[in-house]
Amino acid sequence: MDLNYSAEDRAFREKTRRWLEANTPTDDLKTLAERKAWHRKLYEAGYVGMLWPKEYGGWGATAMQQAIVQDEMARIGAPPAINGLGIGFIGPTIIVHGTEAQKQRYLKKMLTAEEIWCQLYSEPNAGSDLAGLKTRAEDAGEHFVVNGQKIWTSSGPIADWGILLCRTDPKAAKHKGISCVLLNMRQPGVEVRPLKQITGHSLFSEVFMTNARADKSDLIGKLNEGWAIAQTTLGYERGGNSLGRVTRYAIAFHQLVRATRQLKRNGRPLIEDPVVRAKMGRLYAELEVQRYAGLRVLSALNKGESPGAASSITKLSYTEFEKRYYDTALEILGPWGQMMTAREEFEEIDTSSGEAGTWATAFLWARAGTIYSGSSEIQKNIIGERVLGLPKEVRADRLRS
Amino acid sequence: MDFSFTPDQTLLKSSARAFLDEHCKPATVRLLWDDARGESEAMWKEMAQLGWLGLSLPEEHGGSGLGMVESALLLEELGRAAYPGPFWPTMLVASAVTAHGTDVQQKRWLGAIATGEARAALALLDADLDWNPDAVATRADKTSTGWQLTGLKRYVAWGHVASVLLVPARTPEGVSLFLVEPGAAGIAWTPMMNMDPGTRLADLRLDRVPVRSDDVLGAPGAAAPAVRQLLRRGAVGAAAEMLGAARRCLDMAVGYAKVREQFGQPIGSFQAIRHKCADMLLETENSHSAVYYAAWALDAGAEDAGTAASIAKSYVGDAARKVCGEAIQVHGGIGFTWEYDLHMYFKRAKALEAQYGDADFHRELILADVAK
Repeated sequence: MDLNYSAEDRAFREKTRRWLEANTPTDDLKTLAERKAWHRKLYEAGYVGMLWPKEYGGWGATAMQQAIVQDEMARIGAPPAINGLGIGFIGPTIIVHGTEAQKQRYLKKMLTAEEIWCQLYSEPNAGSDLAGLKTRAEDAGEHFVVNGQKIWTSSGPIADWGILLCRTDPKAAKHKGISCVLLNMRQPGVEVRPLKQITGHSLFSEVFMTNARADKSDLIGKLNEGWAIAQTTLGYERGGNSLGRVTRYAIAFHQLVRATRQLKRNGRPLIEDPVVRAKMGRLYAELEVQRYAGLRVLSALNKGESPGAASSITKLSYTEFEKRYYDTALEILGPWGQMMTAREEFEEIDTSSGEAGTWATAFLWARAGTIYSGSSEIQKNIIGERVLGLPKEVRADRLRS
Repeated sequence: MDFSFTPDQTLLKSSARAFLDEHCKPATVRLLWDDARGESEAMWKEMAQLGWLGLSLPEEHGGSGLGMVESALLLEELGRAAYPGPFWPTMLVASAVTAHGTDVQQKRWLGAIATGEARAALALLDADLDWNPDAVATRADKTSTGWQLTGLKRYVAWGHVASVLLVPARTPEGVSLFLVEPGAAGIAWTPMMNMDPGTRLADLRLDRVPVRSDDVLGAPGAAAPAVRQLLRRGAVGAAAEMLGAARRCLDMAVGYAKVREQFGQPIGSFQAIRHKCADMLLETENSHSAVYYAAWALDAGAEDAGTAASIAKSYVGDAARKVCGEAIQVHGGIGFTWEYDLHMYFKRAKALEAQYGDADFHRELILADVAK
């Protein structure tokens, strides 16, 4: 047991910090072109696609190095890379399940963000029960004809391509008859409508497919065997963001300390109130425990161990913590914490999964974490069944099949 | 970055598990609960032979010189067994003697502790129940041969079996540490019954108790940092024990949920139960991270070692109470019976929450350190 960073990791962190100090843009990135240019710069420096094999344009780096880059980017407040779903989930799926031609065609442009990707999985009536999806893809000889609706699609309006789960055999049992195919988003049969979220922003959208076309050469894996592919995609968590996430919490915590020094209650700074102090002491403890747990995951990855279903524990842990964290912060800050526009510099915080904003933005964003990528309830089912070995529940849809 | 244990550490843990499964079964613990002394002399001797009592002691005094990580591994197993006895207080006093003792004091106590001849206890709390060492009210007055201690020490664990007590008291120089004989003239003991019969507590009234000047530990007036260090170490050890209790309860709850049937199905198939078990695992795994991070930080002399100890104590205290309590809930009525073993671990975890600084005390330390 040695929780010191290795000499190589320390040197890598130093080098990364120097690069970010020299290259991080000082102005906000406003346009997609500006964000793509910054992404490209990060990629060329070796800070995007770090875990991808070199033969596909990646850098073959370690999970620890990726975590260090995310950590340093959080520390300096650098704008994130884009195409996160592509690089984190879709690309690795193509690497594992795709044909050589698909890899040659898509991977490099995904890494460089020349083409932006989205995930077309959830539907209005297929959320946690994803296998209940209804979008159909019918065989039309050379290609599939796709009809249906997807929802909660991140990056929808800027996406060039999507990875689509669709039903290719309507007669087969629910979890069979689903295929995974790549869909060109820039075609007349695909319509993207942004959805306004509770934060007031629009990072998600609905996608309507009306006689859209997907080439058969874009089928991932075998026909009607897409469900297994979706399962591996959902399980692809590599701990790369574990340190950066906690650094963002810590930056917010220090802003909370500053705010509670300035706000007063009963004529004295809020931070001198014992009730407030107890709450803040607990928050910091929980925040650090998230960091320790992240180090434990990185240590396991370093040894080549795969977290597997245990990554559900990590996701459940930090997303539930995030809700408690911002709940408590807003409880302490009162009306001050509810402002949607930053009036003082210390109100600016950076949420871990959403956009930069105020305490209120972070508070609202925290509601998303326990829903996306498998809700807390789904994570608990996975933990119960696959980690603890508890019996599966009796499910009506499984009884039928 | 390596958060895993070495083969030696893993072996220590598994051999401790094997020993305790055999010699500290729930039935054994129950016998000790009803025993006037509350701990087993035979088990103590065996623990000495296994090298546990010298685990963290210096090699020149018959110890193995191992660190807090090894102690935590052992304590996790002791917690898992709800072991009743003075192991951890004895080790803490030994660590203070190692850090601050004169050659004579070390020779007198460390070897005797390693061989199992001596046990030790800590008397850190005064009448006000304030863990802050600056709040010590017990007085030490100078005499021609040394000192006289007067005051009230409360909730001293395992003092009745100890050969030596570590007592902080106020001198003109500030708070100082004294090594006191439990049977010395002027000491009156009042034993009490804790909710956890595996934690034996007593109040200790000192009325002009004579202490030789050779029995002052460390420089007079320098006790506060020494007590803080003891509380840190004590906190991490208690957190490890609570983690062990939580793991035992989690295992029992999951095992029960797999076999107990209601409505024609194992109750573990119901999400209401499965999700509870998932939450319990999450709390237990996070507790593991908190305990071993803090143990490593103490060994490595990390900058955040003090904060990490306070985080482990406050976090794991809450988590273990929740996990052990939910295990009772998963079991239903049977879990509430005296006959079923769950309450041993539930009570042990709860008793430890109040030792070496409670959660409120440690949360204040955390914030004071972070918001300097």
